[in-house]
Amino acid sequence: MTYHKLLASTAAVAFLAFGAPSFAQTVVTMNTVQIFGTIDPAKISDYTDYMAAVNLYDGLISVDSSGNLIPELAESWVVSPDAKEVTFKIREDAKFTDGSPVEASDVIYSIERLLRINQGPANLFADVLTPGSVTAVDAKTVKFTLAKTFAPFLTTVPAIFILNADAVKPNEGADDAQTWLATNVAGAGAYSLKSWDRGAEMTITRNPDYYKGFLEGPIDTVHWIITSDEATVKSLAASGELTMTSQFQSPETYKALVDMGRFKMVSQDTGTAFYLKLNTKVAPTDDIHIRRALALATDYDTIRQVIFPGGVLSTPLPKAFAAYHNGDIPEPKFDMEGAKAEIAQSKYAGAPIPITLGYVAGTGFEEEISLLMQSNLEQLGFVVTQAADPWNRITEIAGKVETTPAVNQIFFGPTYPSPDSMFFTQYHSKAAGTWASMEWVNDPDVDAMIDAARATGDTAEQAKIYKELQAKLDDMKPDVYLLTQTVQHAMDNCLTGFNAVPMQSFDYDFTRYQWTCK
Amino acid sequence: MEFLSFLIKRVLWSVLVLVGLSMVIFVIARVVPGDPARMALGPRATPEQVATMQAELGLDQPILQQYALFIEGLTRGDLGKSLLTERPVNDDIRETFAATFELVLCTMILAMGFGVPLGMIAAYWKDKWPDTAVRFFAIFAAVTPSFFLALLLQILAGYVLHLLPTTGRLPNSMEFEASWTGLLLIDSLISGRLDVFGEALRHLLLPALALAAATMGQMARLTRASMIDVSRQDYIEAARAFGIPEWLRVTKYMLRPSFVPPLTIMGLEFASLIGGAFVVEMVFAWPGMAAYGIRTILQKDLNAVMGVVMVSGVFFVLVNLAIDVLVGFVDPRVRIRGRR
Repeated sequence: MTYHKLLASTAAVAFLAFGAPSFAQTVVTMNTVQIFGTIDPAKISDYTDYMAAVNLYDGLISVDSSGNLIPELAESWVVSPDAKEVTFKIREDAKFTDGSPVEASDVIYSIERLLRINQGPANLFADVLTPGSVTAVDAKTVKFTLAKTFAPFLTTVPAIFILNADAVKPNEGADDAQTWLATNVAGAGAYSLKSWDRGAEMTITRNPDYYKGFLEGPIDTVHWIITSDEATVKSLAASGELTMTSQFQSPETYKALVDMGRFKMVSQDTGTAFYLKLNTKVAPTDDIHIRRALALATDYDTIRQVIFPGGVLSTPLPKAFAAYHNGDIPEPKFDMEGAKAEIAQSKYAGAPIPITLGYVAGTGFEEEISLLMQSNLEQLGFVVTQAADPWNRITEIAGKVETTPAVNQIFFGPTYPSPDSMFFTQYHSKAAGTWASMEWVNDPDVDAMIDAARATGDTAEQAKIYKELQAKLDDMKPDVYLLTQTVQHAMDNCLTGFNAVPMQSFDYDFTRYQWTCK
Repeated sequence: MEFLSFLIKRVLWSVLVLVGLSMVIFVIARVVPGDPARMALGPRATPEQVATMQAELGLDQPILQQYALFIEGLTRGDLGKSLLTERPVNDDIRETFAATFELVLCTMILAMGFGVPLGMIAAYWKDKWPDTAVRFFAIFAAVTPSFFLALLLQILAGYVLHLLPTTGRLPNSMEFEASWTGLLLIDSLISGRLDVFGEALRHLLLPALALAAATMGQMARLTRASMIDVSRQDYIEAARAFGIPEWLRVTKYMLRPSFVPPLTIMGLEFASLIGGAFVVEMVFAWPGMAAYGIRTILQKDLNAVMGVVMVSGVFFVLVNLAIDVLVGFVDPRVRIRGRR
């Protein structure tokens, strides 16, 4: 018997004697600052909802960190020349967690249900998909026929998660299975729901039979603890319970965790922009010179480097949309003399100028920015009123021109990886009256450009339109471009895989993460 | 008989209080800024979606009609559906109430278990060093905000010393369903799971201590003052003259009549902590009803807010009724007054 045979037979005997080796489970514990509201794919709406959904369900396609669409349940897709039909081919091996195959009928059921309930992601498809828009070509091929050309449509498809129709139908009840899907999962996701204590935690576990498989060093269990308390996060980290923080911790907490030695900081620019939205329909920000003066009186470096870490934002569109970003527009500069010159040209020159600075009450960094702005603006002859309102109130006052403050600090990020997500919601007159459109731009030229970009399937043409649109908006100055948000996490040194994705919280799809330590 | 009629009167008053409470909260919840439908649907919901949900929630109806619908549901024991969790409010409250009740129960046991003996010690050694020490502790405990103590305990016991867990009711790795009473300590014993009992107790200690400190201080001070007052009574002197052993004199003849003020305070604290424990629950990620209540208020989840307030109100009323009965047993003079 050779040495190798001896070794192999010894190993075989040992295997038979002691059974299959048991491997330690890789558990990632992460804190989130708000509770998971729902896991029903037809109702998910916010960042935290999507964090669970991207792990529990799969869509036809997904998004990578560059904003590219990548296959998921669908292995390929074809867009018709007029961009009004999209046909998806579902993978042969795609299956739900109960082992049944994913078929065109499941896709149709999921979308019809989404349209019936008309909540969550349904607003993305208003006027685009109607009942009957989605049909089965064969068991593994599904065709979407759009009510009108909507070029960004494909980028909204990742928001549709596919339900196992056979599992859901028996539980439909009187409310289209809303009650059942509030606590049960019927999808093809890589993880299953293990426990969910709404006020405190959620735990999901890996489906070993997931049709797409996993990377080396997969995460077996993800445990989210709901806490925004900094001391709790530090205690969890110190006791070894925490693997990854939320992106909303204080710099002190990040530093404390890094000082422990077990954590590294991961920091990336995102597609989320932070603006001062200027109400273009009320005094004094109805005057272009005042709006330009405000842009010049903003101390960008102090804000980005001291108050709230972030990247440079030079147009309404963050650089994350590289193909569409207008790089010819210069970065905004802090220039008090230039601001004085602009005020002198305005219709409000020569007298104290009352102005209201609005921000979200209870957010320390927004208060600091508002005070910094006040200090600069008072040197220029403004009479500043600070208006700190709770978020609930801001969503209400944004509904009318006259109740929207002159200046408003607002974060806005893409819902789907298309510039349309940034432009339509913020600047199109059809989207007026929300917290995202507190500028009240209502400009026919802007509307026309957004509509034109939506109506063409030619990406080069789209890029041209979006670049011109950025230039036009920069001339109109409805916003002061404060920064692009930088997302930060303290992560265990052994955990890799976080890459910011410009769509909801798709960056927390844990199939993309790996545990690198043995 | 008179005592029974006294109790019946109290019950009737309690019902009136609850009706008043429901009216006040119903109005306040609707006056707070923010559209519940828009908040539930998310920032990108279309106006049509918002209008549909407003109609579903009955928010497009006159406020009196909305109130009538709420009361109708309440009489059926149906608190409606939560916009925050997408579940019946009854289910949410059933789950979260048990966690809060267990926490507050342990808080009260700690507060009574330490507060009353400390008060006795202080009274027995009045103006000696144990009295000074207890008074100092009592004032410190009573004035320290529970959130500050919670953070302090968490940093000390969790972050620095790694002695006790700092979040939740059980470790994530431990699987156990509290299906009997919802109280982990009780259900684990019923199921014979001592490991769960131990872990549940460890998880309870820090939040319960953070919540108990103020009540403990108050109990100690009240017990001390009350016992000193009683010790000056003639019958205590008589008991001493009759040679009744000191331990019996202190524990039976002095403590029992001194127990009424701490017992009353305990009742009030017990009931108010059911809704007021939210800061500590937030800090320790405790899945309780108080934290749930705060989240629903922030989300303007009308049904859930009404549900939490009504349950807290009913609990407050019931505990106070129970305390009235208990006080009657501890101090017979109350029963006699009731008969008159």
